[in-house]
Amino acid sequence: MGKPKILDLILRNLLSKPSTIEYPKKETVIEPDARGRHYADLNKCIGCSLCSIECPADAIKMTPIPPEYEAPKRNPRKLYPVINYLRCIYCYRCIAVCPTNAYVSTNEYRLATTETIYSDMLSLSTLPKKTG
Amino acid sequence: MAITKIIEIPYSLEIPVGPQHPALHEPLLLKVYADGEEVVKVEVYTGYNHRGIEKLAERNSFYRDIFIVGRVCGICNTVHANCYVRALEQILGIEPNNRAKYLRVLAMELERIHSHMLINAVMAEIIGFESLFMNIMLDRERIMKAKEILTGNRVLADYMMVGGVRRDINDEKKNKLLKLLNKTEERVKYYKQVFMEDDTILKRLVDVGIITKTDVLKYSLIGPPARASGVKIDARASDKYDAYDEVPFNVVVKKEGDSWARMILRWDEALESINMCKYILENLPSDGNPVPDEKRLPRRFPPGEAFTRVEAPRGELTYYVMSDGKPMPYRVKIRTPSFNNIINTANVYLGHSIADVPVILVSWDPCISCMERITVLDLTTGERKRMHLKELARGGRKWVSPRYSI
Amino acid sequence: MSYKDVLNKLVGEGLLTPSGEVKPHRLIYVFESGKIRELFTKLIDLAGVEGFYVSTIVGTDLMKDGKIRLDYYVVFLPQEETIVFRTFLPRENPEIDSLLDIIPGVLSGECETYDLLGVVFKGNPALKRGFFVPKDVYEKGIYPLRKDAKV
Repeated sequence: MGKPKILDLILRNLLSKPSTIEYPKKETVIEPDARGRHYADLNKCIGCSLCSIECPADAIKMTPIPPEYEAPKRNPRKLYPVINYLRCIYCYRCIAVCPTNAYVSTNEYRLATTETIYSDMLSLSTLPKKTG
Repeated sequence: MAITKIIEIPYSLEIPVGPQHPALHEPLLLKVYADGEEVVKVEVYTGYNHRGIEKLAERNSFYRDIFIVGRVCGICNTVHANCYVRALEQILGIEPNNRAKYLRVLAMELERIHSHMLINAVMAEIIGFESLFMNIMLDRERIMKAKEILTGNRVLADYMMVGGVRRDINDEKKNKLLKLLNKTEERVKYYKQVFMEDDTILKRLVDVGIITKTDVLKYSLIGPPARASGVKIDARASDKYDAYDEVPFNVVVKKEGDSWARMILRWDEALESINMCKYILENLPSDGNPVPDEKRLPRRFPPGEAFTRVEAPRGELTYYVMSDGKPMPYRVKIRTPSFNNIINTANVYLGHSIADVPVILVSWDPCISCMERITVLDLTTGERKRMHLKELARGGRKWVSPRYSI
Repeated sequence: MSYKDVLNKLVGEGLLTPSGEVKPHRLIYVFESGKIRELFTKLIDLAGVEGFYVSTIVGTDLMKDGKIRLDYYVVFLPQEETIVFRTFLPRENPEIDSLLDIIPGVLSGECETYDLLGVVFKGNPALKRGFFVPKDVYEKGIYPLRKDAKV
């Protein structure tokens, strides 16, 4: 039996550093346009519910804008989309069908969290709060 | 007194292979009946993973289904989406532009490369060659990165849309992709050499699970198992869908028909795919925007039916879509390659030793979520055993890990 | 003999009737459900065992017409031309002869069609409920792909 063909490679790997990225100590390099967490910019959203209808995973629920926020005039029904990130499959269909391009997309892939399971806080942070 | 008679006691063993991790991390049950070490009967049990996607597709709109069918299988999601999207395009009478067609082929070929690398790596793991497994998986990571650059996600691409693709590429991305492909090509050539020459691999794979040309056609086998037995079938070459009529490639065919030929054929195809990807990147036509405006796509589908075929990494994948003019499809039928390749091949295991069963199973490149499930049974039970496939491949020795206890 | 001659001969013998096409360019031939074994035996004689393979069996529940439509998608080699052999079965008690002994490759298709749609392939010993369908569904006697099935 001859020597295993792969022996050189194994020896080289033995002496080199591990190839594994030591996450979370090191950042994983990710493309800037990778599909990550996204949310609606409520200054542009018109509350038309199209994204909610088209979502293949039924992850988007149209929700009334809370009274303490100033709803923009262009949103007569005062609804905004709330994405459930645990249901979402990140296909970005909602972004593509939005008639006003209201969605903000990020490449945020670190989705493990105890807080932002829904996109409501991210979306509402784009609106001014009512004064007084 | 001389011995005049010997009484032979029939001893056959029923060994369920699976449903947990029969070869890949997917549920399938092979009930293997063995007489001693020799396999005498194999039954395939399925049903552990059926999610009713066809019924689900009938209850969702045509566009939502594009993303649902992409989730039939993780490894081959772009081919599933492509096949479905082309069926919709046939019903609607839409044709995407050339740039979109080239980009679709690019995405599908990248998928073929990583799928073939994965199954070769799994084969190395199954025969106990784990350092090779690690190395192939490490190099496969480059193709995953290439897919991320092209489609925006490593695995689930969601890249196909009626009338085109969902993202364009620019020169910067093109150069990045070419760089990754050149590096991978070198590595794939090396691994092919290892599979051709390494004693461990040759001893486990050569002449194991031979299937003849006639049997291939009788049992409706498709894809690499068919091509490794000398049957030249390839939906890319015959249907010439998308840009396959313009991108040059060879259909690799081998005569041996054993597990080794199937694995080498996959390396050859991966090399062929790398060349195709490079050709596409260098000759990408620029006849307009390949990304259709998803807001303006037709919302009504005329009544009609379409049957499209696509060459998935595992063989011919077919979609039948029927529309009756309503917003949802009337019938969607998906026939995946593993569905034929796994369920119809129970006879190939016969006569081999138990340790060869996983090797043969892996050489079909099983995709259970695609196909949905298998079992092999061994009759006349003298004893029942439950074991992990990996352990089985090592001859059932117990030292592997206490978790896999017999 | 090329696949066109084979089909023309079978049409001449009255086993097949041409009837339109499935997009893109897959010709449909309709046959009587009772003559399926005769049809495929002749097909093997004319085209040879290595001349074609059965790619898939598609069953569709046409509830309005009270029928179940069964399509055999046959791929002819070496051109890899897909031809559709279509037949209709009554929705109540759909039965057809199995092809398992002459074309073993239909095993997966027949088992699936039985389990999901309730078409009985007479002479196929491998038919069983629970091939794909989970236990809680098939115990109620539901065939999930029937249009009136509520799963």
